[in-house]
Amino acid sequence: MNKTFARIKDIAIYYPQKVLSNDELASIYPDWPAAKILEKTGISERHIAAIDQTAGDLAFEAANNLFTQGEISASDVDFIILCTQAPDYVLPTTACILQDRLGISRQAGALDINLGCSGFVYGLSLAKGLIETNSARCVLLLTADTYSKYINPMDKSVRTLFGDAAAATAVIAVDVDQSCGEFIGPFVFGTDGNGAKNLIVEAGSYRLPKTAGTAIEVTDDSGNVRSRDDLYMNGAEVMSFSLNEVPKAVDALLVKTNMSKEDIDFFVLHQANKFMLDALRKKLKLPSEKIPILVEDSGNTVSSTIPIALFKMRKQRQLIEGNRLMLVGFGVGYSWAACILNI
Amino acid sequence: MSEFYEGMAEILEIDLIKISSDFELHSGEAAWDSLAIVSTIALADDCFGVMLEGKALAGCRSIADIEKLIIILKKV
Repeated sequence: MNKTFARIKDIAIYYPQKVLSNDELASIYPDWPAAKILEKTGISERHIAAIDQTAGDLAFEAANNLFTQGEISASDVDFIILCTQAPDYVLPTTACILQDRLGISRQAGALDINLGCSGFVYGLSLAKGLIETNSARCVLLLTADTYSKYINPMDKSVRTLFGDAAAATAVIAVDVDQSCGEFIGPFVFGTDGNGAKNLIVEAGSYRLPKTAGTAIEVTDDSGNVRSRDDLYMNGAEVMSFSLNEVPKAVDALLVKTNMSKEDIDFFVLHQANKFMLDALRKKLKLPSEKIPILVEDSGNTVSSTIPIALFKMRKQRQLIEGNRLMLVGFGVGYSWAACILNI
Repeated sequence: MSEFYEGMAEILEIDLIKISSDFELHSGEAAWDSLAIVSTIALADDCFGVMLEGKALAGCRSIADIEKLIIILKKV
């Protein structure tokens, strides 16, 4: 008996043109030579959106790259999900604007979700829900962010890590014998809003509107400069959160699926940076070949890191049909989610 | 403790032979910055299964201070 399952058909990515290299950062932060930045973070360069280039623009380019790859076209899409924390406007929804810009049918649904590094996995769960309840046949899942616009130029704690990018993922309906099993899922989710203060842009919305006062810059003990208008990350707390919650999420999903770590070919974790991924690999007791680290040319691109990693793995022919992956997104919120992805 | 000291030498970017409980983190010889603190959290978790607090680590003056935090957490 046939059943409808959601499946990833294709992925495309987009990096803005401007590149911020380690040499450039090292010239601003003399304590951190370029080689040290690369060694610790695994990042050699990140891409930065132009002043007039929004997350919506990056998503538009990624979607066009997806259509150019030829597996799906704009006319196939009947639902758009955009995950971003830097929408074009307070309102309307950026996904609605993208429907028009991309020439997607007026019968398509469109919505934005405001999540960071967990966003791709949450987006997959929404796409799967839409498709497997016969509400959509082809979901365009876009992830795009421009954290560089939130970062104080003199805050090396985040400027060395984050880059701007977008990814476009086509999630389509496939009608196959139900014995084939699902391609996306099961999922586990988690949230701890108590961690909100540790990764935040405090000013600029309604809890704390931007004022001259919120723009006052202060220097922290490590010499990083930021104001309440800028991105703040408490790296120590975020590391503790990740080391606590990611292994639990991995274990919970393995229990839920009655699988062991040996049943998973690759654990594709949110690509925060090399030292975070190395620490998680040790804690998860996994061999390095099972945890790809693919941040060198892009840095932490928030909700796009997992689809970018999948894109690169496909391009390098690391992924073959029949592979089973576990995806784990985690970060700002705090928010986290993990799922199985059968290729 | 040797695995911890090896890790600390790597984090502080100094020779292992110089690492001891007495080693001063703010001596100027070591790179005791925000990145080092984050790395030390991961190291202590890996070596001792304890989760150090960033704020407490930032207040440490020597490796002995870090070891005291680890001992307290191991007793809990």
